[in-house]
Amino acid sequence: MKRLLQLLFWVSFAAFVTWDLARSPAIDRFAEPPLIAAGSGAAASGGHCSAAPQ
Amino acid sequence: MPVRSAIAAAFVALAWFVSLRQGVLFLVGVGMGVALAAARFGFTTGWRRFVVDRDARGMLAQIVLLALAAALSMPLLARFPTELIAALGPPSVSLLVGAFVFGLAMQIADGCGSGTLYKAGMGVPLNVAALPLFAVGSFLGAAHLHFWLSLGRLEPFGLVQAEGPGKALALTLAALAIVAALVAWRGRGAGLPRLDRRLLVGALALAVLAALNLVIAGQPWGVVYGFGLWAAKLAVAAGWDPSGNAFWGQPAQLAQLSQTILLDVTSITNIGILAGALAVAERRRRAGDEGPAPRLTRAQWSAGLLAGLAMGYSSRLAFGCNVGAFVSGISTGSLHGWIWWALAFAGTLVGVRLRTRLGFQG
Repeated sequence: MKRLLQLLFWVSFAAFVTWDLARSPAIDRFAEPPLIAAGSGAAASGGHCSAAPQ
Repeated sequence: MPVRSAIAAAFVALAWFVSLRQGVLFLVGVGMGVALAAARFGFTTGWRRFVVDRDARGMLAQIVLLALAAALSMPLLARFPTELIAALGPPSVSLLVGAFVFGLAMQIADGCGSGTLYKAGMGVPLNVAALPLFAVGSFLGAAHLHFWLSLGRLEPFGLVQAEGPGKALALTLAALAIVAALVAWRGRGAGLPRLDRRLLVGALALAVLAALNLVIAGQPWGVVYGFGLWAAKLAVAAGWDPSGNAFWGQPAQLAQLSQTILLDVTSITNIGILAGALAVAERRRRAGDEGPAPRLTRAQWSAGLLAGLAMGYSSRLAFGCNVGAFVSGISTGSLHGWIWWALAFAGTLVGVRLRTRLGFQG
């Protein structure tokens, strides 16, 4: 039962990621963010749990 | 071996097709998942054992994690003020309500933000089933944040920005030392050791990985934002228009909704945590060290799933879960992290009693 549920979870999650990739615009590899944010000069732009509406 | 091969293949695919940063962040997430699962580093269990059995080991390991993460993160935030941001949430009615409900619900669902994630990766039935509801709750909580904030809020307060890194770290370590002394004092007479080597190794690993996350992503470790984003993407696909919502309609959020989750830093570490936990589960299974899943009654299932939904909703009201608000908030000097801790612990005191009444084991 536990193994079956685990398999079901991973198959569902992989399907979600595949669906998301398929419906999203192609990734622009030339607009790649810096490998290390610290020292790059670029401000953080990701979403975070502590973010509040402006 | 197949799981390890799959993780290696995922890293190569991310580095090649998405970005090297996302590939490396995935590996950081894998490390977090391994550390959480191998050390059984449960925030929920640590608090519950402290409340019920006066077992201080989990709480003290968490305090060590906070101290180490703060010692690593605060100087970095001061050194790179443009590129690195702290986990600053506004002290607010929303935070008070959200943290209390989260602390209560995590005892019923037997897993906090990171706990639900790594246990789902390991295939624990209740956590697997609760994760989608956690995501829905997180999406709805973020969508309703504007209302909750209208009930009263202050501006976020960051110790590093206000006092500088040296004083901020000294104040944080002093406050943590006071809490640790109280926890150790409360744990006296329980007939148990105060420290646990396995948990301390987990704390050290998580502190280093959290600092790496900050340096690479430019923002502290978070979990629940990613859950909400996943559900929001499904809602948009179902026809929901986010543009009129105070949170999801912001330009930064619309940009996140319009691109793949593989470009989101929180989502990618979440996926890494799931994969790392799966690797630990497979290793345990091969070693014959895998315990059976607890059998739950219908009432326990219902309560656990409802708690999963409540955790998702309340974690967004509280500006993070045990990771985004508690670990990242306190270690980056945010006042809201300390308020979260107090209110979530008060919620846990109620949640532990409810858990007992519902007949949950352990």
